[in-house]
Amino acid sequence: MICDQCGERSASVIVKQQQQGQITELHLCHICAAENHSINIAFEQDPLAIHQLLSNWFPTSQASINPVKKEIVTCPSCGFTFPKFLQLGKFGCASCYDEFAPQLNEIFKRFHNGNTEHTGKIPASYGTTLKIKKEIEELRKQMQVSIHGEHFEEAARLRDEVRVLSSKLEGGASSGS
Amino acid sequence: MAVERFLQPRASSWMANDGENVDIAMSTRIRLARNLTDFKFPFSFTEDEALKVDKEISSVLLDKGNELDYTFSHISIEELAQLQKEVLVEKHLISPYLANSQHSSSVLLSDNEELSIMVNEEDHLRIQSLQSGFHLQDAYKIANELDTLLEKNLSYAFHEKYGYLTSCPTNVGTGMRASVMLHLPALTMSHQIQRIIPAISRLGMVVRGIYGEGSEALGNVYQISNQLTLGKSEYEILQDLENMTEQIIQQERRAREAIVLNSPLVLEDRLYRSLGILTHSRLLTTEEAATCLSDVRLGIDLKMIQDVDMSILNELMIFMQPAFLQQYADKPLQPKERDFARAKLFRERLNKEGINSEGEDLA
Ligand SMILES: [Zn+2]
Ligand SMILES: [Zn+2]
Repeated sequence: MICDQCGERSASVIVKQQQQGQITELHLCHICAAENHSINIAFEQDPLAIHQLLSNWFPTSQASINPVKKEIVTCPSCGFTFPKFLQLGKFGCASCYDEFAPQLNEIFKRFHNGNTEHTGKIPASYGTTLKIKKEIEELRKQMQVSIHGEHFEEAARLRDEVRVLSSKLEGGASSGS
Repeated sequence: MAVERFLQPRASSWMANDGENVDIAMSTRIRLARNLTDFKFPFSFTEDEALKVDKEISSVLLDKGNELDYTFSHISIEELAQLQKEVLVEKHLISPYLANSQHSSSVLLSDNEELSIMVNEEDHLRIQSLQSGFHLQDAYKIANELDTLLEKNLSYAFHEKYGYLTSCPTNVGTGMRASVMLHLPALTMSHQIQRIIPAISRLGMVVRGIYGEGSEALGNVYQISNQLTLGKSEYEILQDLENMTEQIIQQERRAREAIVLNSPLVLEDRLYRSLGILTHSRLLTTEEAATCLSDVRLGIDLKMIQDVDMSILNELMIFMQPAFLQQYADKPLQPKERDFARAKLFRERLNKEGINSEGEDLA
């Protein structure tokens, strides 16, 4: 493609412009792009056509149909449907994350090198409760292993620990409110 | 108007030239994306919600900023003229996306211009911390302290499994994007950069030229940043990025040594020609200016060029851009007029600061 501005060099940059509410796309060579637009030392990730990636991964609309109700999954809080999410590449609200949860693992795995769970900072207000919950989860896993290996004393000890933590969680919730 | 001070062609502190590896690592940025519970995200919220979000976040920052010794100026985007927005974009204080925002949005800037908090960008809240040189940990510490202060006063959308919830699935988890800007002329000249870019992308990080894709980097400036935000802690992400950046810096140093060893006179000639262009030309396009700036910068690093102050070069990178030139000229300029204004800016800034250019400048 030839540059829209100089008509000489080949275009290497697509520039989207908003003028009087209309979005126009310009195909520019790197020289004209530099002239027209701030060098824009692109600190910001370009959207990398996220919606394009998404629609490549979900070519059919199969994924957007709720397997039980047989209808298109829609977020009741913001009205985004799963196809709309794919098309935009953006969530409409926090509830979308729960509504679209069955499909999200697959998507997150691809964007984040196989990861699906956050392991970083936790806001202080969520901190203690969430930490205890994650501990309980871990203890339950260990308990299953113990039962499987028929280490029942160990399993009983772990069960008691879970009880202590669970009561802490309930106590913390009621005294905290 | 609050914005005036931020539009001046005056260096921000992150354009300074200090710190380790500053010859190659020009600046560092940390960005945290956050959203509030109780409001839909910017892709679906109403104008009424946008206003409330803006009000809520702004009032917390204006009230509590002083707990961290910051004074913030609140700038409402819709009140800015087009050129003013562009100047803020060129200075990296706001994103192009925010400049084009269609709903109530604003930016809160710290006096030293190291912190910029964008409200109602793609997310309700974008905390951006800028530092000169290669300072990932410092930049994160500053962003994190502000984030911790904000979370005490605002209710963040956070999910037990997914972490901080963001509009874009590529930001979920930590919501953190860390970037370092690198000047890599020798890796570019020797074409090694084309080998490095794909190798890095397999490790959850990305290197790109100023224009995004490929090896076409204006002025040989590249940005390395983390791609992955979910499944690693902030600490791990910063560590990985730091290690990778250090490796690239070392490779650039080796490539520079090789070039100097192979053809010192050819190199010196080229770098001085570029200095000649910057100090004497009458018409200077952005591209030529960026190329010559890269050469002169390299010349200083290699101690071939003396008497030019590196921090002036950093400023010129920013101030040679179209909106700044027009702001400076106080009128709109056609591309050719910009080339003239740009050449004049370079002559003034570089010659004034006492380069011993022997030829008399007749202008
Ligand atoms: Zn062109
Ligand atoms: Zn939703």
